[in-house]
Amino acid sequence: MSAIREPIVVAEGISKSYAHVTALTSLSLRIQPGERVALAGPSGSGKTTLLYLLAGILQPDEGQLYIDNRSLSHLQPGRELSKLVGIIHQQYDLVPHLPVIHNVLAGRLGQWSLFRSLISLVWPQERQVALSELAKLGIADKAQERTSHLSGGEQQRVAIARVMVQSPSVVLADEPVASLDPARAEEILRLLTELTTSAGKTLIASLHSPYLIHKYCSRVIGLRQGQIVFDLPASDVTEAVLDCLYNLNEYPDEELVPEVS
Amino acid sequence: MNWGGPIIHTGGGWSAIQFLTALFPPDFSPDFLAIAFKATWQTVTYAVAGITLAVAIGLPLGIIASGTILKESSPWRTPLIASTRLLLGALRAVHELVWAVLLVAAIGLSPMAAIIALALPYAGILGRIYAELLQDVPQQPLQALRAAGASPLRVLLYGYLQMALPDMLGYSFYRLECGIRAAAIMSFVGIPGLGFQIQISMHDLLFSQVWTLLMFLVALIVLVDLWSTRVRRSLLA
Amino acid sequence: MIRSPNAIRAYRQQRQPLTFARASFYAFFLIAATSWGFILLSGDSGLTDLFTTKTWGNAGRFLSAMLGLNSELTPAYLQASRWMDTGKLAYHTLAMSVLAIGIAGIGAFLTLLLAARNVSNGDLGGAPSRAGTVAYHVTRASYIFSRGVPELVWAMIIVFFLSPGILPGALALGFHNYGIVGRLTAEVVENLDPAPARALRAAGAGNTKMLLYGILPQALPQFITYLLYRWEVVIRTTVVVGFVSSGGLGREFILRLSWFHYTDVSVIIVWYLALVIGVDLLSAWLRRLARFE
Repeated sequence: MSAIREPIVVAEGISKSYAHVTALTSLSLRIQPGERVALAGPSGSGKTTLLYLLAGILQPDEGQLYIDNRSLSHLQPGRELSKLVGIIHQQYDLVPHLPVIHNVLAGRLGQWSLFRSLISLVWPQERQVALSELAKLGIADKAQERTSHLSGGEQQRVAIARVMVQSPSVVLADEPVASLDPARAEEILRLLTELTTSAGKTLIASLHSPYLIHKYCSRVIGLRQGQIVFDLPASDVTEAVLDCLYNLNEYPDEELVPEVS
Repeated sequence: MNWGGPIIHTGGGWSAIQFLTALFPPDFSPDFLAIAFKATWQTVTYAVAGITLAVAIGLPLGIIASGTILKESSPWRTPLIASTRLLLGALRAVHELVWAVLLVAAIGLSPMAAIIALALPYAGILGRIYAELLQDVPQQPLQALRAAGASPLRVLLYGYLQMALPDMLGYSFYRLECGIRAAAIMSFVGIPGLGFQIQISMHDLLFSQVWTLLMFLVALIVLVDLWSTRVRRSLLA
Repeated sequence: MIRSPNAIRAYRQQRQPLTFARASFYAFFLIAATSWGFILLSGDSGLTDLFTTKTWGNAGRFLSAMLGLNSELTPAYLQASRWMDTGKLAYHTLAMSVLAIGIAGIGAFLTLLLAARNVSNGDLGGAPSRAGTVAYHVTRASYIFSRGVPELVWAMIIVFFLSPGILPGALALGFHNYGIVGRLTAEVVENLDPAPARALRAAGAGNTKMLLYGILPQALPQFITYLLYRWEVVIRTTVVVGFVSSGGLGREFILRLSWFHYTDVSVIIVWYLALVIGVDLLSAWLRRLARFE
């Protein structure tokens, strides 16, 4: 009998709406530590909203969110929250004018004193950490270059390096590879999954490509119009299943929706 | 309303001719060149001092007025921003020459009068521009910084200031250029500098000296203009 | 934590390139340090004098004189007639500023198309011509000359030929700002989206019509905005120009100061601030209108 581990992410009855749009309705899920979860679904299905709620950037209208047993409703973005959860986006995360090393070290801003944060702009503090992450991502030689001079794929690596330096328990990724060509996309996703798994972190990423989902994720949650339509291990999610999800006309089979305990 | 009509000044024509002929040759005697160089150096010094003082005053005020370091929820926010904007507006309202004349009446013909007269309105102008530049910065990198755990002050240091810095520096260099021109003009009221020397030479009707000084003035302004333009182009690259 | 000595070595070997901006920044620091050193250390810069009791005494006396304390005479700000007379001068100053902006605006408006490179070299669809290029350079040179000469110097030159009044001041300000507004708007035209103008050209519009319908409407709001921004600057400078050219508050200000009529100076300053605030508000309101036009 396997030990039942505490889920690291728990969402119960989450609802969120904006002006005239209901983004999520009564959504619940649990994620175990170390999982690599893909969020799939057409645009407007609520993937980004869900990720922002998990990141603590938005607060839900209804429901509860827990990360590592801490309730998110009591945590503002800041020191404590940054230890629990970190997020990377498709692009524009980084401060373009800063050299790469400073963007990466910004992941430490939640832990550094004000004095240290100031000094670091002139003499980068804790360079080892930043440089080792950059080395794992293969761009240590770009550390002093201005971030805006790097290509899209390289900048995404810098963003990953920053999140790794920040070292939260859960890493969220909002369409991290959507603006990259297939080869770069695979490269980035490989690095992301390798780094997060080897550091024992949980990854939740919104992805479109069935190939990438299959190859790099362990579990797939399909969203559509603010509701979970299926929640399956990646091996069970075929292209046909994803086609149904994205297809505008057809609805998926009932039996694909598992019991959420 | 009396327009004072476009009647040609009597005697103006003759003075003009005298003035123009004195250009050939201008007074390049070593004694006078020394005076001209010294006056130029004085003007530059006072302008630079005035601008650095203006930045020292305008930058903190501008940061406060932009509202980037105060928490959204703090009750201090609106009154603090409003009063800082008011202060900057008040400083900006009075022209640097008017400040200069008032300060000279208050503390005499000291160079500090020129420096302060330059610093006060320029602090207001710089502060207001800094505040606007800081606010116009793209938001997403800032959100990412906050999500990484940075407090508002750190977001300011690593985000707002970094992204607004090229434009802020560019505008400050432009103001430096204006400041040097203003300092030269300011010395017409009696404060040491190029303008003062021009006045003296004009008074003594030593027009060739006036031409030398004018050349120094034009050279100074053109040099600073070119330097400032080149710096701004380099910043945007 | 993985220690990667290669990475550290690679990091240390990287050099930030020395851009012109960076070098200038260092140079400026040097100049600033020297300047302040000169001011703080040399005797004749007045810094030490600033903190003597004598200076504070003078300043204090000046301030109390401005407020009309310690004097047997009725302060000017309590006399309605003084307010009225100064108010009339304030009105003249306002008129001078409007006239100046008008001169600058008309001059810039008439020449801005000549000063736009994409008009003269045919990028916008007009035929490039020798005359156009010459006109471009001549107009641009006129802009540089006009804005390079400070307003006060323009005023001193003009007063040489015209007798004092509102007109010399307005001309001086108008000439100086002609170059500023002209250059700014010409740059706007140069950065315009060429598509509408080219489309008009393709539809058969002649040169003038293309300029009128395709370019001017796009540049107009920005032109008016620049003009209104300059108005805010001009109203402040009008008083200064008035030192030399008389007409308006400027001359009165200087005269009263030299006669030590400090309470009158206070009245003048109040009117000056009223003008500045008024024009700032008007300008902001008009600029908002221009946005939605």
